[in-house]
Amino acid sequence: MSIMTNAQETTDPRSAPGGTPGVTRATLRRNFWRGVWRVLRRKPSRMVGVVIVAGFAVMGVAGPLLYPDHLPRDDDALYAPPSLRHPFGTDFEGTDVLALVITGARYVLLTGLATAVITVALGTLIGLFAGFRRGRWDTVLMRVTDVNLAIPGLPLLLVLSTVWKFESPLEMGLVLGLLGWGGIARAVRSQTLSLRERGFIEAARGLGLPTTHIIGRELLPSMAPYIAMNMLIAVTGAVYAQVGLFFLGVLPFESNNWGVMLNLAVFNGGALTTAAALPYLMAPLLAILLLTLGIVLIVDAMDEIFNPRLREE
Amino acid sequence: MTPTLRGRARSKTSKTSPTSPTSSASPKAVARRVAGHVARGLAMIWVVATISFVIIREIPGDPVKGQYESLIQKGMSPEQAERATAVLYGFLPTGSLWEQYTGYINSLLHLDLGRSLSTPGVEVTTLIGSAARWTVLPVLAGTLLSFLLGVIMGVYAAIKRSGRLGDVLALSGSLLHGVPVYVIGLLLTAIFATLWPIMPSGGPVDVEHVPGLNPGYLGSLAHHAVLPVVTYTLASYGGWILAMKSNVVAVLGDDFILAAELRGLKRGIVFRYIARNAILPLFTVLALSIGMLFGGSIFIEQIFNYPGLGLLLVGSISSRDYALMGGTFLVITIGIVVANIVADLLYTAIDPRVRSGGAA
Amino acid sequence: MTANPTAPAVRVRGLTVVYKTPVGELPAVSNVDLTLAPGTITGVVGESGSGKSTLALCLLNAVQSPGRIAAGSVEIDGLGDVVELGGEELRRARGRHVGYVFQAAQNSLNPLKTIGKQLLDLGRSHGVEDLRALVRDAKDLLARMGMDGARVLDSYQHELSGGMRQRVGIMLALVLNAKVVVLDEPTTALDMITQATILRIVREVHDERGLTTLVITHDVGAVAEVADNLAVMYGGRVVEHGPVMEVLGSPRHPYTRGLIRAIPRLSGDISLARALPGRPPTLGTLPAAGCVFRERCDRRMDVCDTVEPVPLTRDGRTVACHAVDAAADVDANAAPGVAAGAADRTPTTARRKEYA
Repeated sequence: MSIMTNAQETTDPRSAPGGTPGVTRATLRRNFWRGVWRVLRRKPSRMVGVVIVAGFAVMGVAGPLLYPDHLPRDDDALYAPPSLRHPFGTDFEGTDVLALVITGARYVLLTGLATAVITVALGTLIGLFAGFRRGRWDTVLMRVTDVNLAIPGLPLLLVLSTVWKFESPLEMGLVLGLLGWGGIARAVRSQTLSLRERGFIEAARGLGLPTTHIIGRELLPSMAPYIAMNMLIAVTGAVYAQVGLFFLGVLPFESNNWGVMLNLAVFNGGALTTAAALPYLMAPLLAILLLTLGIVLIVDAMDEIFNPRLREE
Repeated sequence: MTPTLRGRARSKTSKTSPTSPTSSASPKAVARRVAGHVARGLAMIWVVATISFVIIREIPGDPVKGQYESLIQKGMSPEQAERATAVLYGFLPTGSLWEQYTGYINSLLHLDLGRSLSTPGVEVTTLIGSAARWTVLPVLAGTLLSFLLGVIMGVYAAIKRSGRLGDVLALSGSLLHGVPVYVIGLLLTAIFATLWPIMPSGGPVDVEHVPGLNPGYLGSLAHHAVLPVVTYTLASYGGWILAMKSNVVAVLGDDFILAAELRGLKRGIVFRYIARNAILPLFTVLALSIGMLFGGSIFIEQIFNYPGLGLLLVGSISSRDYALMGGTFLVITIGIVVANIVADLLYTAIDPRVRSGGAA
Repeated sequence: MTANPTAPAVRVRGLTVVYKTPVGELPAVSNVDLTLAPGTITGVVGESGSGKSTLALCLLNAVQSPGRIAAGSVEIDGLGDVVELGGEELRRARGRHVGYVFQAAQNSLNPLKTIGKQLLDLGRSHGVEDLRALVRDAKDLLARMGMDGARVLDSYQHELSGGMRQRVGIMLALVLNAKVVVLDEPTTALDMITQATILRIVREVHDERGLTTLVITHDVGAVAEVADNLAVMYGGRVVEHGPVMEVLGSPRHPYTRGLIRAIPRLSGDISLARALPGRPPTLGTLPAAGCVFRERCDRRMDVCDTVEPVPLTRDGRTVACHAVDAAADVDANAAPGVAAGAADRTPTTARRKEYA
């Protein structure tokens, strides 16, 4: 929410006016990275955020490579308590829970990434188009956006799951992306309109610059930080939505992931009534909490880097 | 359905009418806003109804036709089977797609959502009616509690924003805002029902109590409601505290607050100036928050085994009770639309600038 | 405009205000002495960043964080040293003893309450028992300023024009009978006609109610119109102070001269207007020693680099400049007594013509 309200003020230092483009752009970029470094150093907690998110990225890429395709089972240790061998105990089949969390990360994060890319691409495109063309297109697109925003997403996903099984992470990402672009579209539109109000577009037109240049070189860079922040938030949103769907058990369990773990722990393992399956439940929960913490810290840092008003304080 | 037509008509009249009045509250402006909301709400309900229809029609194996055919196999005459199926789904199993669609919309207009399969013979509206209170009451309680808590802590976080306490409040707010509702619910249950069992782990009420206005039953009801309501509250608390904090920080920088101080107004009065101006924009978020909580009810009711709309929806999907599924989906949507309109009316009632039709 | 016996005098002595920045505390106002004679209007002019608004806030001990009053006093008759006041005492002094009028461009009114309700908040805050009488006074004041009092009190801020808001601001500053009034840029962002109206109102209300008024502005024309005395600020110092017509008619400090040369005349050759070379200093670029104006000064001497000029008062005019001192010493030695005697005030009507 704080990010939404700050969107108006978010500006990119690279789009600062004046100067010869080549030289100033390079120095500005250097200053920009220096600013990033300064912001990160001032509050060490933000460094923690970067480390956490990087850790999850590594987990998603390399995690499944660390383990055999079929995780070993230990029939003598069903729901084993946490130990050195099994830091988070084992599940109902005697599989190591930590291994499940690590190998399950890829599906979850891949969906998140796919969703974020689709959300941001669609939202930016629609928002830019509406704000740039204005008039009739704007009205129609914003009405569609309103509906997109107002439709209860999760119930719709549940209903959709009866006809569509979302088998691959990409398919899942596509559906989530199609449902979630409204917020970005609206914000990008209002950004475009406000840039227009500041004479940005008219000035560029007056210089005879082509539309692609205006959009690609003038408009998009000044919105880039905002879009990037939204992309991160979209990743978490998608992770939560799909883990939630698996947790509810409305999707077939094709592969191992965090949502499946939650479902099995709660509805098969009785983690909510007996303490034995609790570590099995806590492991994916902790993973989600950590991921959220990491992204929150990074978004907070980005907010400070790109929002001059906050930087002064 | 004519929401789109009405929407067009509205914009036409507003174009021909002179610009909105700038002075004194005008009931006309309010009426126009409400009409706009109702039109948009109807449009959305229509979209959702159409989605439900398409999905029920498109479900692999065509349950409508399947039902119709199985009834005929059981020895019913085609007419009887057709009527029985129509009662179940709200539209005729035979005929063109368009006939089925208009039939479906027509029965919706008569508030007929069909009958349940999993609870044979019971009307969907009855099931939804008895489930709704288990969702609506906790959602409202959670919204109110989180609003109060978030607003108070938001002011605090804004005042202490450069200190450690402010950092902690803001970070906890961001975390709670970011974390999915089921994580909150599962953690709460794990802690307060499994590890340290002071709360019941599920269900709306202990079975041994006789329903009615007796203290045992009401106490048990309240006991069982604690964790779900706390989960609802925590789920939207984060949003409120973040929004309130940034609003208060913005208002603190406004000139009229400095002006009030320089005029020597009492601290209490200045504080009320700040609070009122900071809270006002939150009403635009209220609708969003309620919508989010309605969505969250699906998880919360699943976790706490609470017989509300969310549990009904998930149950209808697992038991392939499509009429119930479509109906529940529709009612959740209607709940959100109504919350939208109420939130906007509240906002209109409080902000003089909107009331006079200025910045609509 | 004879000095009104009920009007209080304001004496600012050795006032220093510092702002906390990453490179340490930097002075925005340094060691300022300024006396507002009872019943007069004093104008303070200067470029942005000269410390004039900070000075204005000091009269209410209301310097905003990260700034603070580091040294000095602001004595107001009947109130004492404002700098020493705090808590409830300070709150009661604000509004009751010292009224503050904000820039027209700033929104000094709560957007969610009618003017009347805000007036009642003001009354309650200051323990006014007869709120009815307060409302009556407010309506009288508004009527005096040419507005329909009842209607204005029933309005919200967004229903009033800029000039109307400014008059409401003046009403709120005066309705509790404050005798010292500070106006911060009272005419900025108003159109010419409204500017003239507001200035007339300020002058008339000042005379009628026997006030001591401080007007902060960067508009020399507005000051000429309304003020009795003029203080020119540069880099956090009052570099020249004296009767308005004398300061404008025969400026002594090189900065004042530059400032007046920079004003284009309505009639006359625009090319005669000369912009002051260089830029005004900011908090960070103020020189640590010597004269703050030397970088832009056309009468710079060696001593200016090392010694900060002390404000010296001659014939009712105060100037802080080594060059002026040196010249005056020469004059005084050559023809003693010649510089005295030019202290007569030009009639108001005459100076209007000159600077309007």
